[in-house]
Amino acid sequence: MKTPRVSSWMAAVVASSLFLAGCSAGASDSGEQAKKDSMTIAFTAEPVNLDFTSTSGIAIPEALMENVYESLVRVDGEGEIQPGLAEDWDVSEDRKTYTFQLQKGVKFSNGADLTSEDVKFSYERVQKDWKNALKSKMDVVDSIETPDDLTVKISLKKPSNTWLFNMTSLVGAVFDTEGTDDLANEAIGTGPFAIEKFSRGQSIDFAARDDYWGEKPAVNKVQFKYFKDAVSASNALKSGEIDVVSNLQAPELAGEFQSGDYQIISGTTNGEVVLSMNNAKGIFKDKKAREAVMHAIDRKAVLDTAWAGYGELIGSMVPPTDPYYEDLTKVWDYDPAKAKDLVREAGIEGETFAFTVPNLPYAKAISEIVSAQLAEVGLKADIETQEFPAVWLDKTFTEHQFDMSVINHAEPRDILTVFSNDYYIGYDDSKTKKIAEKADTGTEEEYVSGMKEIAKTITEDAASDFLFLFPNLVIAKSDVAGIPANRVSDSFRIADLSWN
Amino acid sequence: MITYVASRAIQFVLALIVASVVVFALMSILPGNAAQVALGTNATPDAVAALEAQYGLDQPPIIRYVNWVVGMLGGDFGTSYVTGAAITPVIVGSVQVTAILVIAAIVLAIVIAVPLGTFAALEQRNWIGVTISALSQIGIAVPNFLAAIILVIIFSLTLGWFPSQGWMAPVEGFGGFLLRLVLPVVSLALVQAAILTRYVRSAVLDVMREDYIRTARAKGLTRTKALFVHGLRNAAIPVITVAGVQLATLLVGAVIIEQIFVIPGIGSELVRAVANRDLVTVQGIVMVLVLLVLIINLIVDVLYPIVDPRIRNAS
Amino acid sequence: MSEIPGTTSAGDASVDRGSRTKLRLNASMIIGAILILLIVALALVSFVWTPYGPSAVDPAARLQPSSPEHPFGTDKFGRDTLTWIMYGARITLMVGIVAVGIAVLIGTPIGIIAAVFAQYPWGVWLSAVIMRANDILLAFPALLLAIVFAAVYQPGTGPAMVAVGIAAIPGFARVARSGTMQVLGSEYVRAAKASNRTAPAIAIVHVLPNIAGMVIVQASVAFAISVLAEAGLSFLGLGTQAPVPSWGRMLQESQQFLSTQPLLALWPGLFIALAVLGFNLLGDGLRDRFDPKMEARGNG
Repeated sequence: MKTPRVSSWMAAVVASSLFLAGCSAGASDSGEQAKKDSMTIAFTAEPVNLDFTSTSGIAIPEALMENVYESLVRVDGEGEIQPGLAEDWDVSEDRKTYTFQLQKGVKFSNGADLTSEDVKFSYERVQKDWKNALKSKMDVVDSIETPDDLTVKISLKKPSNTWLFNMTSLVGAVFDTEGTDDLANEAIGTGPFAIEKFSRGQSIDFAARDDYWGEKPAVNKVQFKYFKDAVSASNALKSGEIDVVSNLQAPELAGEFQSGDYQIISGTTNGEVVLSMNNAKGIFKDKKAREAVMHAIDRKAVLDTAWAGYGELIGSMVPPTDPYYEDLTKVWDYDPAKAKDLVREAGIEGETFAFTVPNLPYAKAISEIVSAQLAEVGLKADIETQEFPAVWLDKTFTEHQFDMSVINHAEPRDILTVFSNDYYIGYDDSKTKKIAEKADTGTEEEYVSGMKEIAKTITEDAASDFLFLFPNLVIAKSDVAGIPANRVSDSFRIADLSWN
Repeated sequence: MITYVASRAIQFVLALIVASVVVFALMSILPGNAAQVALGTNATPDAVAALEAQYGLDQPPIIRYVNWVVGMLGGDFGTSYVTGAAITPVIVGSVQVTAILVIAAIVLAIVIAVPLGTFAALEQRNWIGVTISALSQIGIAVPNFLAAIILVIIFSLTLGWFPSQGWMAPVEGFGGFLLRLVLPVVSLALVQAAILTRYVRSAVLDVMREDYIRTARAKGLTRTKALFVHGLRNAAIPVITVAGVQLATLLVGAVIIEQIFVIPGIGSELVRAVANRDLVTVQGIVMVLVLLVLIINLIVDVLYPIVDPRIRNAS
Repeated sequence: MSEIPGTTSAGDASVDRGSRTKLRLNASMIIGAILILLIVALALVSFVWTPYGPSAVDPAARLQPSSPEHPFGTDKFGRDTLTWIMYGARITLMVGIVAVGIAVLIGTPIGIIAAVFAQYPWGVWLSAVIMRANDILLAFPALLLAIVFAAVYQPGTGPAMVAVGIAAIPGFARVARSGTMQVLGSEYVRAAKASNRTAPAIAIVHVLPNIAGMVIVQASVAFAISVLAEAGLSFLGLGTQAPVPSWGRMLQESQQFLSTQPLLALWPGLFIALAVLGFNLLGDGLRDRFDPKMEARGNG
């Protein structure tokens, strides 16, 4: 075996092929022509399949809602409800019956026409066949009628202020009666885009549909590319391989994009980063102990160090884009001396408690500073990092084996879900439940004031510490237009994107 | 020779059987419930139980094990209940990606290490040899992900020669494929080359002390010529062994590089499947990895006597 | 992690063997020993003194460059990097000691037993079974074990150490076996056998002292591997978890500051490299001393 000769020969081949590749590909990758018609966007959470009716999590609706699937109504950047597949709707006097007029000439990507039958089929399917727990948002629906092809009449069991808003989320998605055979792998909707290619764990390629009923999107080909690692995504943007980073999971990197070649957009999301405490058992069952935590945490410092100052202090479970938002950041001030006193009063000085932390970037960072701040007032956190979602869902969420945890509750308008008796936090909702029922069935004003009262009650009960509102931190090339500042729904709407 | 190969083959099968039992047993004690993960934060216990039944998670372990093994023998790793897709194509696709990455890295490492190591041995007493040895020591001490990060900063972000991440199948575009291959392969190969250089150097030094080299030199050949004519075949033995072992460990070891460069290799699939509690996929991937490692070890074992007549005769 | 020599021991024993002069041999040992002592010293001092506490956050002083107050600068929470490097040395050493400890304590006896059994007609097959089981273990690389362990238990220093340790067992078993075979075949052991000593007695009196050298060499190399393994696993998020200071985790988290605060990555990177270098050099130096042509030709 004449090793050296073989290897030098191979070296030459490798070297020359690399050289050739370097010459040829440099030109093709950044052609101006291609750029105007396509866009690549980086995301973090990857869809494991395309079926949000059976798989929970934000990844699937983020990619599919409003892009592939549409609902009768949608929510705009200010949190207002706008027409979607329904061009108009009437609400009956008793506010229990909604009559929707469907848009004309809407086609599914498989060529079928949208009719009221499809809507009836889809919404009855939610209650019947869905496995995603969010299906409970449709529980209030009593019956669905289809007087003609373009009219849908939905009757509720009782008036509900939240139902129509909930319809803007994934439960409102309209499927074709013939299009639900293989939802995990094939998405057939009425939206402006169809899925051209789904490379599981890697990317989704969207192509604009010629037969879309509404305004044609400005960009024809959009790729969602999934990056587990924020640094890789940021590098890809810097070297021009992608055009937008949809939500940067390493906010410190934003500083590197301050030149005129990029734009940094920092808006709101529906995600409240909650330092949750177990209200039902353990060290934080005692309200005094929870109050101590509220005074011990310097939320500004948490935001500044753990998330580079991107985000917003909220003090409650309500984002500023919701109609019942109220600034409750002053309810609990940062006062370590008071916190120390409360710790002493509660008799928990020096006690160790279980702090379960999902292995997500923000949660890990927050756990470091929060545990340091709690140590200052005499509370010792025993940090246990848990894989998210698997282990966290199992141990913390389902089995309630925790004293403290930290998680971004990203669902829109989720205050009543998170702070209900049987949720993992174990909040005693005897007071808020009654107010909530009244608010949901009452007038719009009663709804807003009722929800405000609930949010305030929960904050004053020190049910959990609302650290900050998770930011919608988007970094894009400066010539990308149409990126909404605020994320008010689960979906990332790509039809509005364009090149300047 | 035949008995040697046969005995290795029997060992190979036994090892596979034992490994499958171990893998299956490990997966059975994995905490976290696939049904719960699929249903998310708002699921009711009833819904979870129903989905468990649908996945077949309520069946006794023996039955699940037998079903799994029978399926694998037919090349079917089952269907993931997380993704709803068949697992076999996922494994085949990602193994190909990793194989390309790892083999390219080992080949590049050998290409670098054989001349460097030989040179270092021939020049062992002067500064060039010492420098090569010192550099190889430092090369081993640098974690490969650090090398990757530095390479990206220099060659992608600063010079713009190569993409910072991504993967393209050769059929989608060969130029793009090679271009994306460079940085990850170099990141892996640098450390490998450092390791192999040391082995080549010591193997060559060993060979040079052998009698037949001395005889050849006595017959008037130069040191280098004597080595090239008579010695390299023998020097190759330990190098083949080490390269084989490194190849085997890199199959999983490349996972960090795969993550940095967003490459859909087998290691990344494993990490993803573990995070999703996609047990059937995890089992399948671990089995395939064990199988590949065993195959590589088997090949090395069989190559050994072919390259080295002394072992052939001894056994 | 994986790409380190020593996952196989067959070829290991011959690396750089006997090719050095006495002087350079000592140089490599001395440099290695100095580097290791430096790290041990950092770890020991951290028990009695560090500039700051490991969790002393100071949001006002975050991401500072080197200064008299913070010689190595501060991280994003305003914690002192020097303090973290000192605490990190503890984890590095602990991971190495536990992982290598597992491998030595399990691998060495396995190798010796396999070699001793092979001396008796009734034990040959048993010896073969032991070594084949050992080979099966070789099919599970450290990283694969670590990923599975992290899933089965939870990501953390413990499962990482155990995974690295288990994966290193076969190397020690092979070294111990081939060393023992050699000792058992030597003249003086034959003499001991002739004087009717039992095999265990022979193993303790003659084998252990004679193979100790090669086991120590293997341990040094395995130690270097475990340092890299901890760093790699932490990089994947499967190693040491917050808030415990570890070099691997520091390196991972400093990634986002590479262009703004490169020092944050430099320090952990440098110390990881120094530790690996130290143990590899020490292993090299020791090998030259302890390896009196140990690996006879065709013995493997």
